[in-house]
Amino acid sequence: MMARLLPTLAVWAVLAMLPLLLGEWELAMFGQLLIYGIVAISLAFIWGQGGLVSFGQALFFGAGAYAMSLTAKGMLPGIPASPWLGLLFAIAAGAIFGALVGGALFFGKGLRTAYFGIITIAAAVIAERVTTNWRFIGGFNGLLDVPPLPLPGGLDSADPLAGYLLVLGFALLAFLFLLAVERSPYGTVLRGIRCDERRIMSLGFFVPIWKVVALALSGGVAGLAGGLFATQFNFVSPAVIGLALSTEILIWAAVGGKGVLMAAFIGAIVVKYMEGYLSETIGNYWLLVTGIAFIVVVVLFPQGLLGRLFKLPTPYRLRGD
Amino acid sequence: MTLFGLALDAMNYTSVLLLVCIGLVVIFGLMQVINLAHGEFFLLGAYTVLVAQGVGIPFWLAVPMAFVAVAIVGLLCDAVILRFIYDRPVDTILATWGLSLAIRQAIVIVFGAQSQQVAAPLTTPVELFGVSYSSYRLVVMLIAVLVALAVFLVLYRTSIGLAARAAMANRQMAQCLGINMRRLDRSTFSVGAGLAGLSGAVMAPLMSVDPQMGMGFVLPAFLSILVGGVGSPVGAIWGSVVIGGSTTLVSAWWTPVIAQIVVFLLAIVTIRFLPSGLSGLRKR
Repeated sequence: MMARLLPTLAVWAVLAMLPLLLGEWELAMFGQLLIYGIVAISLAFIWGQGGLVSFGQALFFGAGAYAMSLTAKGMLPGIPASPWLGLLFAIAAGAIFGALVGGALFFGKGLRTAYFGIITIAAAVIAERVTTNWRFIGGFNGLLDVPPLPLPGGLDSADPLAGYLLVLGFALLAFLFLLAVERSPYGTVLRGIRCDERRIMSLGFFVPIWKVVALALSGGVAGLAGGLFATQFNFVSPAVIGLALSTEILIWAAVGGKGVLMAAFIGAIVVKYMEGYLSETIGNYWLLVTGIAFIVVVVLFPQGLLGRLFKLPTPYRLRGD
Repeated sequence: MTLFGLALDAMNYTSVLLLVCIGLVVIFGLMQVINLAHGEFFLLGAYTVLVAQGVGIPFWLAVPMAFVAVAIVGLLCDAVILRFIYDRPVDTILATWGLSLAIRQAIVIVFGAQSQQVAAPLTTPVELFGVSYSSYRLVVMLIAVLVALAVFLVLYRTSIGLAARAAMANRQMAQCLGINMRRLDRSTFSVGAGLAGLSGAVMAPLMSVDPQMGMGFVLPAFLSILVGGVGSPVGAIWGSVVIGGSTTLVSAWWTPVIAQIVVFLLAIVTIRFLPSGLSGLRKR
């Protein structure tokens, strides 16, 4: 039983050891990769557990990033310019956007899963257009000079070591949070909805509200990642909210494995790391390779490449014997 | 821009949108495949014309060539990718999404990311009820309407069309009645792809030909078929009239950017409240 836990524990141990092995520059880069990992697990949660394929996960990520930047730069009237408050708002913005999208789509007659995908694409395009043309939030250029998060001891998150450990801590928190939800009775209902919505409905669960909550939780975690992105990269631009990033998130989660949070997390880190490494050497061919790799994974490995490795044992509650 | 000119523009956009939609709606209705690579088939059609013109083939020969070339690409995609995932509808969205990324990037690698021009075969404007209008645009409308008509004739007046409509209504029952689904799926996907290629080919002289041009069409086309109602090919007409018309009108009023935002939002609201589209209205 413990053997099934080993890969997951090993990954966190290695991530915690990284500061001892890497230089400052690489550490900062890994910190950014962890942020992508967080948004990947937020998609894996809604997709793998709830069966909702969101082509617009960057919508929640971008909402978080913009909320963070606006608050931290003190652009919201009546609200103090505080980065930590900004991070809180980032989580809230992601969750609210998730709840709004879910609330608008899942109540009433409801929407078929396949249409949900198309509509999220349209929503991502709308969000990108709006942010590009909204002067107040920086328009096409976005917002620059987003301040880092201040830490005790006079440090802030712009320091490579402190920034890395901070992001790692949030990644672990996000992972444990979504894992706890996934393994709770609520998670079981969510997987039931994925398999057969009507059956869960007739068991007495009001399905729309469960789906809205799932989307809000996923949006909140994506918003957290967006907030961290804004503060670690020091800027936001419409590129963080649009279709291009949404597609990337989708590919990370699919390649890693949508059904297992840890697999999606590692999928994001590995794919993004390889992109940084390979796009210099093979240039334009990188996107072609990703596209083809994505098709191969979808057709041949629906559970992703790492899903089996990181699969955790079933909760005690659900074990038959 | 007079009102009449505006109406012509709206009809022009609508008819091309319809041409793109027909392929989508038949593929979706028959195979339950959401083909996100449809925009890239459009793109391939435009680039076929570009290449053909480059080697000196006349435009009007290049258009049917585009249809055939893209239909062959569609056949290949079906054989290599789609037939393995027919029974997993959500995965077809993802696989065709990957396909669209790969095709777009392949075009960037071969032709470069810059936009290119295709010379229009007709350049003299014509006088129409006091409005001077591009004669090529009128020809495009005519082609789109004729092709759409031909597709509807095949669907509603031939035995192949009957089989296809039977399969749309009830796939399993159609199979029990001895319709060869494998062959029907394959030819549907290939013809649908070919139609997208054809639309790309006729639109090439009117747009700047660049690797992103397909993206601008696939999303409005999808929203059109959802607004029109995916169950019926006729719904595609209603959908493209609504989406095409409103986009043209709003962009003339304000800007194309606002038009896109407004029309997409309206489409989402429509789909939300009428899951079976405008054609579902009559049945109630």
